[in-house]
Amino acid sequence: MFCKPSWRTLLLSTTTVLAVGVISPGARADIPDENYQPVLAHLLGTVMPPKLDDFHAATENLTSEFKDFCSDPDKSGLEGTQAAFHAAMDIWQEIQPWRMGPLVANGRDQHIEYWPDKHGTAARQFRKLMFDKPAAYTDPEKLSGASAALQGFPALEEVLFADDHGDQMIAANEDGVFLCQYGTAIATNLGTLSGELQAEWPEFATAMENAGPDSMDYPTAKFAATDLYRALHEGLLIISSQKLARPLGDGEEDASAGRAESPISERSLRNIEHNLIGLFAIYDGTWGDVDEEGKGLAALIDNSLLDRSFKLNWQTVGDTVAELPPSVAEVLEQPDGYAALTDLKGQIDFLTTLVENDVGGNTQLGGGFNALDGD
Amino acid sequence: MAYQRRSFLKLMGVGGAFTLLPVGLARAATTPNPEDRAVYISASAGDDGDYYVSAFNASGKILFEQPLPGRGHDIGLRPDHVDVAAVERRPGLYGLILDRHTGDVRAKLHCPEDRRFYGHAIYSNDGRYLYITENDFDHARGVVSVWDAEDGYRRVAEFDSFGTGPHELHLMPDGEHLVIANGGLHTHPDRDGRTPLNISSMQPNLSIIDRRTGKLVHQAALKHDWHKLSIRHLDVSANGTIAAGFQYQGDLTNQVPLVGIWQPGSDIRPIEAPDTVQYRMRQYCGSVRFDASGQVFGISCPRGGLVTFWDAQTNDFLTHIAAPDGCGLAATDRAGEFVGTSGLGNGWRMDAIRRKRVELPDDSLKSQHWDNHLRRIIA
Repeated sequence: MFCKPSWRTLLLSTTTVLAVGVISPGARADIPDENYQPVLAHLLGTVMPPKLDDFHAATENLTSEFKDFCSDPDKSGLEGTQAAFHAAMDIWQEIQPWRMGPLVANGRDQHIEYWPDKHGTAARQFRKLMFDKPAAYTDPEKLSGASAALQGFPALEEVLFADDHGDQMIAANEDGVFLCQYGTAIATNLGTLSGELQAEWPEFATAMENAGPDSMDYPTAKFAATDLYRALHEGLLIISSQKLARPLGDGEEDASAGRAESPISERSLRNIEHNLIGLFAIYDGTWGDVDEEGKGLAALIDNSLLDRSFKLNWQTVGDTVAELPPSVAEVLEQPDGYAALTDLKGQIDFLTTLVENDVGGNTQLGGGFNALDGD
Repeated sequence: MAYQRRSFLKLMGVGGAFTLLPVGLARAATTPNPEDRAVYISASAGDDGDYYVSAFNASGKILFEQPLPGRGHDIGLRPDHVDVAAVERRPGLYGLILDRHTGDVRAKLHCPEDRRFYGHAIYSNDGRYLYITENDFDHARGVVSVWDAEDGYRRVAEFDSFGTGPHELHLMPDGEHLVIANGGLHTHPDRDGRTPLNISSMQPNLSIIDRRTGKLVHQAALKHDWHKLSIRHLDVSANGTIAAGFQYQGDLTNQVPLVGIWQPGSDIRPIEAPDTVQYRMRQYCGSVRFDASGQVFGISCPRGGLVTFWDAQTNDFLTHIAAPDGCGLAATDRAGEFVGTSGLGNGWRMDAIRRKRVELPDDSLKSQHWDNHLRRIIA
């Protein structure tokens, strides 16, 4: 059911065929610096801002849903709030791999989603929180100064999806009332964080788009574009090394869905599906309603065959994720589930090598004498 | 950041205003002084797997290129002498003693069969002894070899580095002790000599040994949670403060410090840049250099294409300057000023106080890929 033994054959065959026609990067003339500028302008100025607007709107909607639910808690309200959580998380997972500027400023990405949590900090702090029920954690402003593990999506996941928290909120017992107030505070705080992100992005984007010799941050457009290439490359590495390798563990007997991202809301693979959408936007320039194909890093690749091959390979991986259940736990319960996850990791790793060799090489963004081989 | 820079200017006694800078500091913001007779020397590479030790002047004009049998790394400078030591990067087999004015080979060092050079070397202040970090790979043990420059560079002793994977080493200000960055990574020539074999158990440290006896005098490590921070490069100020740069062997998203300050006898103090800069350091530091005043140190981050600057008095982050593929870093004779080089062939004069970067004017510099480390020689 899960195994797609043909993917490797497909990916390898397209790459091998293409390799004949691809000129080695070393033999190419330098891409003029002005060629990188439209890519920066499109990705940073056109593609990303509407997604940040969507993210902010989704978190505002989540807050609104939470407040409505808590004012008169019932099963339908809980389900509506859970749906709003998923909608906000879907957009966040698309934005998450663009790890730069306002996303990482002041630890914002960690405040939005504290993960990976190697030491189980969030669960431990959450248990203590439920025991003490401090009023400060129901105040969004005070919550913003609390531990990152208690103020973002993973904490909200605990509130909305863990144990019998939903029933407690519907019952409006002591725990339920606190959970409602705390959950509303988390959603409100996420709205604040997404609003800050939305507000700070334009200045950051302008600084990158205006790269030039007088800039102490981005002396060339190519150097600025390197950050986008790195986001694409590192985004895939993170999917493989953290989002898949952690639950896979050292072997089938060591596998644990609990080490995956968002295990309680059972959406670990749905996260990856959305990561791939956001990452593909960096390459292709297409993201949801922003449908201007070929204006991302692909605009720098003067080889339509290679471009088509890369898109086909990406689509193959995307299809694989889409066909799997959203929950790692559900996949691992299947007889061939571990093999399916391992296979997916292999596909992501192969995609990573394509990014390094084809995208990095042909856009001339993947090099660096010291950067690649220092000591 | 602005606050930190103002604090630094105040610290420097210049009142935080550019126009009030003393003459010596104000000149630091200008283009290279034509009277600057300094020579910069570094390992370098051409486009075809060809490697050199190359020197250039303050304008960036290449003065000589001495071919090497393999990729070099850092250069050790013999005080008051023409000798400079170029040791092959890890796992290195050769070391060459070159004439700093011409690049001519004056002596050759051969690594013992059961050792490998690790790219860094330092001379004693009297110039007699050369100390080189090495890997005793069969025992996963770092060593410091001692070579007598007055006896044809004969290998005369070997000390324990008190750690695994020793990398950069420096003399302490008293001239009697060596501080060694033990990176903690075990490698073996049978496994290409560079691939780390012990990441899960690595234990990096900073160690200070007596340069005459090899006795361990001080040692410090980071807390266990940070044991994957390979302590690789360092510099020592005139007052004995040690600045160190780390290279993280863990996950890309882990939030870890990449810079440390060590006063021997106390713990290593980890310090961090603001998140947006810390992230752009990409978990990897290259060269570490104090400026001429000892009040600023620079740390290059080639993976992020940045050079970061830090206040050595307060341990605060000062600023950063973009330097694509930049790694080599040498202090000029002016406070807060450095020359940096890149693998793309660039050379810059960088002013940490005024956050200014000026490209060295001579294009001959661009014919080479400049390697990880840069040294300044007074001609």
